[in-house]
Amino acid sequence: MTRPRFDMGRLLAVARKEVIQLRRDTRSLVLAFLLPVLLLILFGYAITWDVTDVSTVVVDHDQSTRSRELVDAFRSSRYFTVAPELDRTAEIAPLLDRGGAQLALVIPPGFGADLESGRPAPLQAVVDGSDANTAGIILNYTQGVVRTYDTRVRFAGQTLAPPVQVRSRVWYNEELRSRNMIVPGLVAVIMMIIAAMLTSLTIAREWERGTMEQLAATPVTRSEVVLGKLLPYLGIGLADVAITSLLGVWLFQVPFRGDPVLLTILTTAFIVGALGLGMFISAATRSQLLATQVAMVLTFLPAFLLSGFMYAIDIMPRALQAITYLVPARYFLVVTRGIFLKGVGMDELRTQGLLMIAFGALGLFLAIRVFRKEIR
Amino acid sequence: MSAVEVAGLTKRFGQFTAVDQVSFDVRVGEVFGFLGPNGAGKTTTIKMLTGLILPTAGRGTVAGFDIMTETEAIKSRIGYMSQLFSLYGDLTVEENIGFFSGLNGVPRGKRDARRDWVLEISGLGDHRTRLTRELPLGWKQRLALGCAVLHEPSLLFLDEPTSGVDPISRRSFWDLIASLAATGTTVFVSTHYMEEAEYCDRLSLMNRGRLIALDTPAGLRAGYREPILELTVDNASRAADALQDNPVVLDAGMYGRLIHAAVRDLEEARATLPGFLSEHGIALSDMREIAPSLEDVFVSLVRAEGGAPP
Amino acid sequence: MTFALGASAERVLQLVMKEFRQLMRDPRLARIVLIAPVIQLIIFGYAVSTDLTSTPTLVVDHDRSVASRDFVNAFTSSGYFRIVGRSDQPRDLVRALDRGEALVGLEIPVGFARESQSGQGAVVQVLVDGTNSNSATVALGYAERIASAYGATLVPTTLPGGVDLQARAWFNPDLSSRNYNVPAVVGAIILLVCLLLTSLAVVREREIGTLEQLMVSPMTARELIAGKTIPFAIIGLIDLAVVMVVALAWFAVPFEGHLVTLLAASLLYLMSCLGVGLLISTMSSTQQEAFMASFLVFMPAILLSGFMFPISSMPEGFQWLTALNPVRHYLVIVRGVFLKGAGFSAMAAEFGALLALGTGLLWIAAARFRKRVT
Repeated sequence: MTRPRFDMGRLLAVARKEVIQLRRDTRSLVLAFLLPVLLLILFGYAITWDVTDVSTVVVDHDQSTRSRELVDAFRSSRYFTVAPELDRTAEIAPLLDRGGAQLALVIPPGFGADLESGRPAPLQAVVDGSDANTAGIILNYTQGVVRTYDTRVRFAGQTLAPPVQVRSRVWYNEELRSRNMIVPGLVAVIMMIIAAMLTSLTIAREWERGTMEQLAATPVTRSEVVLGKLLPYLGIGLADVAITSLLGVWLFQVPFRGDPVLLTILTTAFIVGALGLGMFISAATRSQLLATQVAMVLTFLPAFLLSGFMYAIDIMPRALQAITYLVPARYFLVVTRGIFLKGVGMDELRTQGLLMIAFGALGLFLAIRVFRKEIR
Repeated sequence: MSAVEVAGLTKRFGQFTAVDQVSFDVRVGEVFGFLGPNGAGKTTTIKMLTGLILPTAGRGTVAGFDIMTETEAIKSRIGYMSQLFSLYGDLTVEENIGFFSGLNGVPRGKRDARRDWVLEISGLGDHRTRLTRELPLGWKQRLALGCAVLHEPSLLFLDEPTSGVDPISRRSFWDLIASLAATGTTVFVSTHYMEEAEYCDRLSLMNRGRLIALDTPAGLRAGYREPILELTVDNASRAADALQDNPVVLDAGMYGRLIHAAVRDLEEARATLPGFLSEHGIALSDMREIAPSLEDVFVSLVRAEGGAPP
Repeated sequence: MTFALGASAERVLQLVMKEFRQLMRDPRLARIVLIAPVIQLIIFGYAVSTDLTSTPTLVVDHDRSVASRDFVNAFTSSGYFRIVGRSDQPRDLVRALDRGEALVGLEIPVGFARESQSGQGAVVQVLVDGTNSNSATVALGYAERIASAYGATLVPTTLPGGVDLQARAWFNPDLSSRNYNVPAVVGAIILLVCLLLTSLAVVREREIGTLEQLMVSPMTARELIAGKTIPFAIIGLIDLAVVMVVALAWFAVPFEGHLVTLLAASLLYLMSCLGVGLLISTMSSTQQEAFMASFLVFMPAILLSGFMFPISSMPEGFQWLTALNPVRHYLVIVRGVFLKGAGFSAMAAEFGALLALGTGLLWIAAARFRKRVT
């Protein structure tokens, strides 16, 4: 039997049917449009690693000009919120226990005198270390304030300058806002949700109900089915990218420095790959429930945890790092962050771009292959 | 005393009246058949009787307890088997039996004996450790029935227990029902298989939420007034179509290659039908009056009540 | 009355046993109960670490002196930076950062040796890729500290002593994020298990029609709820034990508090989780819907719990919102018990909140559940 020729009309018929079903399927629509917005608001607005307003308590046993100068230095830093002074060191422990303060500074008697006479003047800083990340950042800030003050005191009236000074510049994310890292990354995570969850909802359902076999009885070819089914989801995916990007830029002032066209092209390739993978899983499991679960574990969770979206890959153990090479979202994240924050073009993103296209091709291949078994 | 006694039983879901002013009673020890087309309100009625849903209006008792206020007391005295196969497929035969006897409060000392009894009547003695989902449907249904009567209820509700089961399994299932009834259990069973209706002591017919007939099978047949002609023709399907338009014929249906035609007037039909059929190019080789089957009775009753629900 | 109570307990027991039998035969059990904790422990024990090491760094050394090489060595020997390339072209710095080959660029000016030793002071430039704001902040801090420590070796000893900062981190002295994250995994696991297993177990019975069978039995709605939640509470507690053993034996997380405190908090927390699981079961008619709903609840509950992101950094409105999140209160207690050795009195507010949320959620769920099944 000769296979019918590829026919755009049939492809569009499949796509149209898919759109009609999607429009009537509230669950899918919620998933497709509400979830991205919810994630964006959660990540863009509520959730941040940025540590500001460190609640700080001070016990000043010295009460000298120098000790007051030091406390003022903390007070004028935007990172610390200094509470009225405590009288006794014993008051610190309950505060830290209850989480009432994150940092306690204890200035011992004779601090000012030591400084004036050139002896090392001890200063105690106690930080609630239970959240290592926050504690590390707080200690960093503390050291920064102390060093600046220290330099000012030691080199005051000297002709000498500090031997080495660091002039630091931060690129791409000048104010060091975690939002700027998260929002471009969300694009990739949302794509994975769509691929994993939406296809399991709608495509696995078709297998479950047997309507997929019904398609086999028509002259439609597998590439028409696959492409026809892909088109609407591709549309949703691109719409989500647009929503996420625009909200990110307008609402959260995330910079967009690159080329929107390049982003669209590479995103398209990524979505095609992700959707193909989702279709493959749906067809392989044939059950909505199982498909959702498998897709969750295989696509969404890695995109979330092992892509560098939230946690830097560099510092993972080797074995886990090796796994991250298999996570397509890892490469896509380089693309989105590169285009959003760095404003880089195809030249810098050549490797990732090729990988995206390879991923897209792989997804299509997998999807069409799976259909071959069933349809002719 | 009646096992079930209801009056004016009504259930509305929003605007839709699923059960409309239904009144009947079921005598202790009888097999009470409950018939009607799909959507007639049979399942809703059974759910009200078993305490699964509360009626919108009406009153009644089941096993002597009020269906509005004493549903918990009812539940411990009845057995129920629903349309859907409703045992746990991932438990073994024995585990299912054990679970339901614990759930229904079979005393510990009697559990082994009851289990052996269920295994025996369901013929599953050799399969007690098999997962239930691996059993053929007919066996599952017998096991489900066994589980429903583990606690020896005086009243048993069966909601289309045999749908989808092959005829031989259906037959043995009904043998089981008969033996339960013989020990004094009242059986309330809904079905849409007409030959099963014949096994019942009394039958009721529901249509569009209302009870339209209630009598013994013989009584129902006797009350049937329209004569039935059985026609032997060369083309039954064309004949059935043609006869629908004949004014003397109330209803014509195919029974294999025969036609059963309910007619308004026997003599007129005998006189006119041969000519009518030959006008339509259909050869009639035989025509005789027959006793109405239960199916004829129900079709006629439902038609008189405005047809089956859409 | 004792008889009625006995019969009721018997029915609950039967249901619990049945539930366990089914769980044992269900491959999903392994997936949810075993694999989820293992994956989470691996991720949060290993992958999630903000302890910065070997940041890829590109060096542009215009001075090419012994001093500049010493300075670069000070960077590499700290362990925080790893040199991935050297160049004399500032252009390469831009390229490396653009392509993500390096996250930090260190540029040493001509005359570094002379200026740093003459008292005039040298200025080195550190460029940081700020994309990951977190790592960037930490890297900047390290760079400044290394530079200042290097400078101290050059300064004549006649200079005044300066401030000697003695920083100590309480509760977690070596600032290991593992100590913070691993105990918290238990909060996520219990939530996941209760949400998924409870809702799936109820919805599955609805799907196959056995729920109706249970409802015509003498079993009351209350007994049904008990029978449907107790098994998953037990599994939640088993997961608690698993996470504890792994945390203490494998990751050597300190355990300063009392097991009783943790157990009490876990029981209160289980009430909330089971309540939400039951609620989901009343709102879903298929297992797939229940799975999705669980996911939609689980994600924000975890993100807004302080598990990974500090609550104190959230906007005030969201901080208030998190007061309604049982996970938040439970994590405070879990971490308090593990790291601070805190007892009831220090965490009375959290215990109170868990009790209130637990009873409230369970009550609402039970009411809705009864309405739905009867």
